[in-house]
Amino acid sequence: MDAMFDYACQKARSLMYREIRNFFDARDYLEVFTPTLSPSLIPEPTIQNFSTRFVNEFTGNLDLYMIPSPEIFMKQLLAAGSPSIYQISSCFRNSEQLGHIHNPEFSMLEYYTLGYTEMDSISLTEDLVRAVSRPDTPDYAKPPFRVMSVKEAVREYSGIDLNAVQEYGSLRAEAEARGLYVPDGESWDDTFNRIFITYVETSLPKDCPVVLTDYPYQIDCLAAKYPDAPYRHRWEMYMNGTEVANCYMEETSPEVTRIYYEKEYERLVHERKGTELPIPRADLSFTDLAIPPSSGVAIGLDRLLMCILGKEEITPLLLFPLSDIIHVGP
Amino acid sequence: MIKAGQIDKGTALLIKGQPFVCIDREFVNPGKGSAFVRLKLKSPSTGQVLAETMKSQDNAEDITVEDKDLQYLYNDGTNFAFMNVETFEQIEVPMASFPDYQYFMKEGETYRATFWEEQVLDVLIPAKIVFTVAEAEEAVKGDTVQGATKYVTTETGLRVRVPIFIKQGEKIRVNTETKEYLERVNK
Repeated sequence: MDAMFDYACQKARSLMYREIRNFFDARDYLEVFTPTLSPSLIPEPTIQNFSTRFVNEFTGNLDLYMIPSPEIFMKQLLAAGSPSIYQISSCFRNSEQLGHIHNPEFSMLEYYTLGYTEMDSISLTEDLVRAVSRPDTPDYAKPPFRVMSVKEAVREYSGIDLNAVQEYGSLRAEAEARGLYVPDGESWDDTFNRIFITYVETSLPKDCPVVLTDYPYQIDCLAAKYPDAPYRHRWEMYMNGTEVANCYMEETSPEVTRIYYEKEYERLVHERKGTELPIPRADLSFTDLAIPPSSGVAIGLDRLLMCILGKEEITPLLLFPLSDIIHVGP
Repeated sequence: MIKAGQIDKGTALLIKGQPFVCIDREFVNPGKGSAFVRLKLKSPSTGQVLAETMKSQDNAEDITVEDKDLQYLYNDGTNFAFMNVETFEQIEVPMASFPDYQYFMKEGETYRATFWEEQVLDVLIPAKIVFTVAEAEEAVKGDTVQGATKYVTTETGLRVRVPIFIKQGEKIRVNTETKEYLERVNK
């Protein structure tokens, strides 16, 4: 039996989930259970979905998708007047690496707090991480968090001033001056990500959790934009160099939300044209959501558990990880 | 040309005209961004390791390689000398590019090597190799705290921790990746 699973890891996971539920229950958040099998594909071109088919001779057949995150369902609850909510759910992402810190099916904690900004979510998340950490948790996973803006981090680790490279030509010139290869026709956010992944992500401090705030507005997402600066109210948390959490102060305008999804859908269709990937039907009925002012956080629980246990991979924490069952490649 | 996302460990690439072999690769998906791949590429001529980050849709120039069998002859401290078993041609491979390989090179053994044109990109070490114990420490009597083990040195100079009953001149099978003792070979 012990060759199949690591008892201590499973016990630690069970305890962590209990602590998480205690934490949110004590703060009057409602735990919700939304579907993992969804009739709508959330159009995010950077995420490949798993799809399947509902077969029924009376109603007809229907394509269904495994959710990449419960975000869209949880936001519908907020729009319908729910209190602050949280959920622990299985999420599914296709076409990512197998093993190390990835598994196509993983566990996600998502929580939305009414009336919060993304900065309020930092202290909430700090308390949460404190509640689940253990005496032997390494420093890189222990609060307090070190908070710095993406702009500060990019300047510190690559020497680039983001305010000065808002125009694409100057960003590209800075990337190329550092020897990065940039193909023609690339978008601002892709070139930014080349710089970010090469210089910033690899240099982040590893002596405490790091929260990077204020992402460039050019990285399209549903985090609210600053009215007076080229950034969004969004942060990501890194532990030991691994991305563990993502947070927004949510966009509340139904119009902005709908335009975002329409654009993402167009991008997805454009990316999939001429490939073997199916083009899902346009179903944007759920997208013009009027959600109340709030902040949402998503945490990869396999990665959080990995960090609080001081491990380098999520594989030993998973029961039956796909990387043990199938082997791809030579 | 291949897409960067298709590069795997062992894939040989041409970067600015120089061949490199991928020794590690990891996918990175920055939040809300395109998929990237972080590569570690080793130059077989200098041993230099390059870190490259590419978008998985970027093109990379892959090269066609060929496997050949080489018989190991000796090393002179700078190069390994091999003989191509088909052509009897002698081939030199810089030792600096293959650190620790000298411990796994046994005179007269045949190794599979990956070639690009006339250059050796990689030499394959079998997962398990049988060595002869060249030197064995005397086991310290009563010292069983460490699970009764001691160190021996193989004919190639590799130090391996073994059970105390292993004697000089005996043959042992070793896992070449972990450099750990597997079993005594009786024959």
